[in-house]
Amino acid sequence: MGDIEKIAASVASLQESFEAHNYICSDQIATAVFLAYQLRKPILIEGPPGVGKTELAKTAAEMFALPLIRLQCYEGLDESKAIYEWKYGKQLLYTQVLKEALDEVLQGAKGFSESVKRLHEFGDIFFSEEFLEPRPLLKALKEENGCVLLIDEIDKADNEFESLLLEILSDYQVSIPVKALAEPPMVFLTSNNTREISDALKRRCLHLYIPFPDADIEQRIVAARIPEIPPELQRQLVAFIHELRTLDLKKQPAISETIDWARTLVLLHAEALDPKLVTDTLNVILKFQEDIENVTTEVSSITARITK
Amino acid sequence: MSMDRTISNFIRALRNADVRVSTAETLDALGAVELVGYRDKAYLKRSLATVLPKTVDEKDTFDACFDQFFDFQDVRGEQSPGGSGEDQSEEQEGEDGESGDGEGGGSSGEEPKGKKKKSKSKAKKNNLYEEEEEADLGPGEITDPKSTLGQLLMGNDRVELSMAMGAAGEETNVRDIKIFTQKGLYTRRIMDAMGLPDLNREIGDLRTSPQVPARRLGQQLKARRDFLREQVRDYVEKQFLLNADVSGKRLREELLRKIKLSNVEHRNFRLIQEIVYKMAKKLSALHSRRKKIFKRGALNVPRTLRHNMSYDGAIFDLHWKSVKVDRPKVFAICDVSGSVANYARFMLMFLYSLDEVMPKVRSFAFSSDLAEVTELFNRNKIEDAIAKTLRDYGGGSTDYGQALLDFKKNCLDDVDNRTTIIILGDARNNHGEAHAEVLKEIYDRSKRVIWLNPEAKLAWNTGDSEMRKYGAYSHQVEECNSLMHLERVVGNLLKQIA
Repeated sequence: MGDIEKIAASVASLQESFEAHNYICSDQIATAVFLAYQLRKPILIEGPPGVGKTELAKTAAEMFALPLIRLQCYEGLDESKAIYEWKYGKQLLYTQVLKEALDEVLQGAKGFSESVKRLHEFGDIFFSEEFLEPRPLLKALKEENGCVLLIDEIDKADNEFESLLLEILSDYQVSIPVKALAEPPMVFLTSNNTREISDALKRRCLHLYIPFPDADIEQRIVAARIPEIPPELQRQLVAFIHELRTLDLKKQPAISETIDWARTLVLLHAEALDPKLVTDTLNVILKFQEDIENVTTEVSSITARITK
Repeated sequence: MSMDRTISNFIRALRNADVRVSTAETLDALGAVELVGYRDKAYLKRSLATVLPKTVDEKDTFDACFDQFFDFQDVRGEQSPGGSGEDQSEEQEGEDGESGDGEGGGSSGEEPKGKKKKSKSKAKKNNLYEEEEEADLGPGEITDPKSTLGQLLMGNDRVELSMAMGAAGEETNVRDIKIFTQKGLYTRRIMDAMGLPDLNREIGDLRTSPQVPARRLGQQLKARRDFLREQVRDYVEKQFLLNADVSGKRLREELLRKIKLSNVEHRNFRLIQEIVYKMAKKLSALHSRRKKIFKRGALNVPRTLRHNMSYDGAIFDLHWKSVKVDRPKVFAICDVSGSVANYARFMLMFLYSLDEVMPKVRSFAFSSDLAEVTELFNRNKIEDAIAKTLRDYGGGSTDYGQALLDFKKNCLDDVDNRTTIIILGDARNNHGEAHAEVLKEIYDRSKRVIWLNPEAKLAWNTGDSEMRKYGAYSHQVEECNSLMHLERVVGNLLKQIA
């Protein structure tokens, strides 16, 4: 516990700690995490795919040494998948197995109402915690010492699901009463913005937009992830990616692509970029044939520009 | 306390700039400020940027607003950069209140504070009046000014001056400024509130004074008064921008709604686009709640029990309640030929926005041959999408018959009794074959056919307009050439298809 407080005591220490875990973050990102911790607020993270939205939550969990509970959203996600569900199978099995026992209980009971009364005395055994299957959200609320809850790609879930989240996000509880928590979970939500998130949800969250990083930070990211990369190659590679991002592409290369590419080039023992090498490995950074065709014609001029 | 005020003023300015900030978020902002303080402006900006704006667009607005607002807030209430923190300044103020050992004269209570602050913020304030030092009378002995404002001006302290200006601004309710013609008025009022009449009188007296030091002071005061006027004008200008702009915008929006789409000037295009988007969004928000999906849903107890009777009541074959997905389908066909060139842009814009807010819209454009532009719309930004559509399909002469035949060939199979078809066009067919029977076929299969005609009703069925023929096979025919029309039509539309 003390550790977390120490790490989250200031923006600078957070940034440092993130860096120690190979996650290079901008001031803006560190500030958002700092506020989220201090104000006990969830963060809604938006940004183009592949800039490290999910990674931020994962690294935070690692850094704070907290368990990470992840809820991947998809169309049709509902409370039985997100919060809890009864273990129907177990319930049915138990009723069958306990049939005999039930007969004993009911023995001597006269009439219908008396039987029912006796049954009531057993309470709601079949709907006790034994038969409850906790799903990610409930699990997160049951973590005594706090955890990092990652609700990934919230934009993929339906509107109704957002409403379901509101209670959890503002009060850290669900409508079935759970014991009050010593340490509420740290909640990260990510969205790729395929649809607008409702205002009600946004109001309850801090909002962090992660854009593509500038060249300096991206170089540090590459260096942190692939330490064995030659410095000159690393500079050229990042410069090349930044040039690509200025072009009209269907899908712009994200940080994850930069890292993949760096890894590829290191595997090929490259020391510097040259047009042929770039053309051969272009499919690592560009994911559409159309993009690759468009860029191929530009490769030599861009390479010349950045290697001079 | 005054910090809360600063934040709430800032939020007011933000709201004015169309960033939605709720009360809860205001509280969050206060919490954040408490945590980070006002010391480091960049840090404060980063912090508030996570709390207040909640979309990327809002973030841009926020950035601009923050810079503008704290630019002069900074001279109003801040200390020197990297200097004392919040606590210290508060402490200092308290001290000032107690001491009050000014050097006499009719000075108000705030004077000593100014003196102290001055010494602190030396690094920051640049000497405002350097040039005026070289006045006719040359440097030399100068008498002390008597009026409060005079003392303030001669104090040469930017911070103190801005604070006085801010206070006078509050006093005169400058934040209520609504239209730009009021700028002069407020400038004068603020100057008056700061004690201009006294200063003018003093300057008058000093200039006629026989003593050189007194005349020198008069000259200096005059120069500084003019400088102050500039400052106040700037201040009012900023207040106007922060507080009044929005009412102007609303006015403009209101006008644009009623204006005919073909008359809208190009420079208002962006604003129209916003309105259209807002409208489409609002309308779909009203209706989109109904599209629900249940992949599993709740246990259907009666059905489960019934189905398990044959297993001696042992329940192992579970049945689930589920609601069938019933999503509306919309096919929108837009005429982009020469005759409707003026409207095509806006129709397409609306089509595009509709596409963004409704789940299943397929869009088509045609002059003579019909082409599906759904993909194009999905892949491109609105400006590009419209420009590309107009470039590729626009401008030719109209052939509705051909377009309908194309539609029949390509997508009649996809039309079913839940489909709504919207046709945007003037039905001017250049005396070609109308092929109304194709429309009839579509009409029979679909749930609704809606024809939106940008021409005024009077012009229908004149010349080569085939509106009568086509109108027969449409469930609804509407004139649609302003945003108000559009709003009404689409409102009805969504009600019916949802």
